[in-house]
Amino acid sequence: MKFTLNIWRQNGPHERGRFITYEAQDVSPGMSFLEMLDGVNQRLLCNGEEPVAFEQDCREGICGSCSLVINGIPHGPDQGITTCQLYMRRFSDGASITIEPWRAKAFPILKDLVVDRSALDRIMQAGGYISVNTGGAVDGNVILIGKDQAETAMDAASCIGCGACVAACKNASAMLYVAAKVSHLATLPQGRPERACRVSAMLEAMDREGFGSCGNQYECEAVCPKNISTRFIANLNHEYLRAGIVESGLPSEPESPHAESS
Amino acid sequence: MIRLFSHLQSSVGKKMGLAMTGLGLVVFVVFHMLGNLQLFEGPHALNGYAAFLRDMPIVLWGVRIGLLSMAAVHIGLALQLSMRNRRARPVEYTIHRYRRASIASRTMAISGMALLLFVGFHLLHLTAGVIDPGFADRRDPEGYRDVYGKVVHAFQNPFMVVLYLAGQLGLGLHLSHAIASSVQTMGFEHAALNRLLKAFGPMIGLIVVLGNVAIILAVFLGIVR
Repeated sequence: MKFTLNIWRQNGPHERGRFITYEAQDVSPGMSFLEMLDGVNQRLLCNGEEPVAFEQDCREGICGSCSLVINGIPHGPDQGITTCQLYMRRFSDGASITIEPWRAKAFPILKDLVVDRSALDRIMQAGGYISVNTGGAVDGNVILIGKDQAETAMDAASCIGCGACVAACKNASAMLYVAAKVSHLATLPQGRPERACRVSAMLEAMDREGFGSCGNQYECEAVCPKNISTRFIANLNHEYLRAGIVESGLPSEPESPHAESS
Repeated sequence: MIRLFSHLQSSVGKKMGLAMTGLGLVVFVVFHMLGNLQLFEGPHALNGYAAFLRDMPIVLWGVRIGLLSMAAVHIGLALQLSMRNRRARPVEYTIHRYRRASIASRTMAISGMALLLFVGFHLLHLTAGVIDPGFADRRDPEGYRDVYGKVVHAFQNPFMVVLYLAGQLGLGLHLSHAIASSVQTMGFEHAALNRLLKAFGPMIGLIVVLGNVAIILAVFLGIVR
């Protein structure tokens, strides 16, 4: 198979980027999208050119590193998969494919298709700790959790933090990400003690990082490689309202997780 | 209470403000439509209803001031949020394809602005009588303000009919996304109710628009005269 690729090239965070067209030749239909790019890069290296920088790690859809907007859709045309799980047989031979990085103020472009997603990590850090007793590991099933509750928490916890929700959102909002993280812990008894502080601190961090606000278009749900439901966003809103009314006497910032008591 | 106050300053808090004021305005448009349907009962009913509202100046002006301030807060928050949203993506995608977003959800800003212009015109036209002053103070035989006559006169004019139908299109478009979206923003979520809630918004929007369109067309087609 043969493809014409329009790839966004940008040397650094403060440089101007532009599209450059490359030809991908001898592509097998069984190749993944990233393997196809590896082939293009190999050819560029042979010609003494700078290869296209893109992020990747596990190549089995669980690390959340790969982050390409393919023909205007984050992670490409298929639902419920990451870019590395997308195969070239999905495209027709000779097709023209446009590849762009995630575009958001909170995700500055480092080089070509690689963006800095540490804003998501900083939101996570703002969420703080959960109360766990030190000492020996607790036996399983000491705290009984209903099956439905456990499944809901697992649905939310399956978020791999790839940032496709931000990339797909018209407003570059990280609501689905924050919703998944907040709902995961708020659903389980282990996460309950700090739930009010956590939701307030994480949403404050989201605003601080310059993400937009939710427009309830549900584009995020459509591109999420883990099919995380937007009902968690309603749950996040509910948690936030609850934190503002029911537990408004508590401090809004949790203690720093690394602070030692002197 | 300190946390509640700081929450109102955040993006989600502002969205909740937007949702609450929006829902308040939705309640108004529903009752406005129901009240106006009395046109079909004849001049006595509609003019009597208008006189009944004007007999309670404190309530009338209380509601008017409440509605105006809700609209002002709604517009102010929408502007703040959309400016923030625009800043969140300084460089646009070259190709962007929507997968799920409805037409209504993509045109909220446009339908909102169109609605603002339409409501401004409507207030000057049928409430204040600035645009069509001929009927502003006319009385019916019973001595009431002739609201019925004013409405019938207005919608016999094809230009007004087109303008009001366009306004209803904007209203329907705005409401079909707004109501379900507000419910989500206020954090209501239940597996069994989800589908109901999703249908709920467009349904209320449709009922309001159909009620209003019935009034406009009934006059224009000569069914009510």
